[in-house]
Amino acid sequence: MQNHDVDQAQMALPIMRITLGWLYFSAMLRRVWNVPAKMNPSSPLYVGGKLITFIPHSLYIRGILQYTLLHPTLLFDFLVVWTILEGVFGLFMMLGFMSRLSGLVIALLAWGIGLGAGWIGTTCLDEWQIAAVEGAAALVFAFAGSKWLSIDQLLIKKYPKGLKIGRWSIPLW
Amino acid sequence: MQKFVALLIIGLIIATGYTFVTYQYFFAGFTNLHNYSKTPAYVLNGSKVFTNGTVVLQIARVDGPDTYGGFIVLLQLIYQNGTTIYQWNAEQLGSIPQSHIHNEYPLHPVKSDKFALVVPLGQNASVMLQVPFKLKPGIYTLRAYDVDGQDSAYGISFSVTVQAQQS
Repeated sequence: MQNHDVDQAQMALPIMRITLGWLYFSAMLRRVWNVPAKMNPSSPLYVGGKLITFIPHSLYIRGILQYTLLHPTLLFDFLVVWTILEGVFGLFMMLGFMSRLSGLVIALLAWGIGLGAGWIGTTCLDEWQIAAVEGAAALVFAFAGSKWLSIDQLLIKKYPKGLKIGRWSIPLW
Repeated sequence: MQKFVALLIIGLIIATGYTFVTYQYFFAGFTNLHNYSKTPAYVLNGSKVFTNGTVVLQIARVDGPDTYGGFIVLLQLIYQNGTTIYQWNAEQLGSIPQSHIHNEYPLHPVKSDKFALVVPLGQNASVMLQVPFKLKPGIYTLRAYDVDGQDSAYGISFSVTVQAQQS
């Protein structure tokens, strides 16, 4: 009976997985495919400028934001890395590939951006709501994985204890 | 299994802690709810007035929408007895050469746009201005007005009081 309950809970997870993954995968798409100027430092659309708007009420990370903004090369590298992480782990989350690792990475991305942007939102508490719910949702996957309608369901049959490196088993799915 | 439950409870505490702590820090939702994105606010601390008429406006935009504005359309220089010695109107503030504006961060610079002095959120700039006559020694107040007519928001006054420096 207990196993049956767990299975049903697992079967509900793809509903969240696709949307959560898309929120991150599409963030990469908007910058790389829809509007590439967002990643062009000399364009007024450059997303690097968003970091300035975080500064006034950011929590814990003000010094990092200020240092990064004063070093344009570092800022660009940071945006490239961030965008790749969003695109890759957003896609992984949608596909259900390494769901537990993807959940952890997405939770850190959500909470990280939330420390800066969390106070912004002209209509509602927009950015805070996004960061809080995405972080919590992603952390669910870090613990539960996703064992249905996922690539992980194939991996878990073959490697039920996760990725084996020597005597260690890392539960990536 | 016990290890999993222990980790799960730590995760629960972290997720819930993040949600509640940031809710209070960003919006004071458990005490005195506010939203600093609604309307622009400016801090003028660090501005300088010189007796030769040079005024260095140090302006930081600390509140308001991230995508738009804010727009300074009036700047007053007020002497200690309350008289307005000089004021810069929207046309003057809208035509300050970029070489007279020093921005702290290279992106989203403070600039004149013909209609106002535009101060993007998070930027901090010093703006060189000149009163066309010499100033008496004494204490001066610089006061800025946003295009919505406000000279204060969230308890922050868009003004600063400074002693005129010899030049």
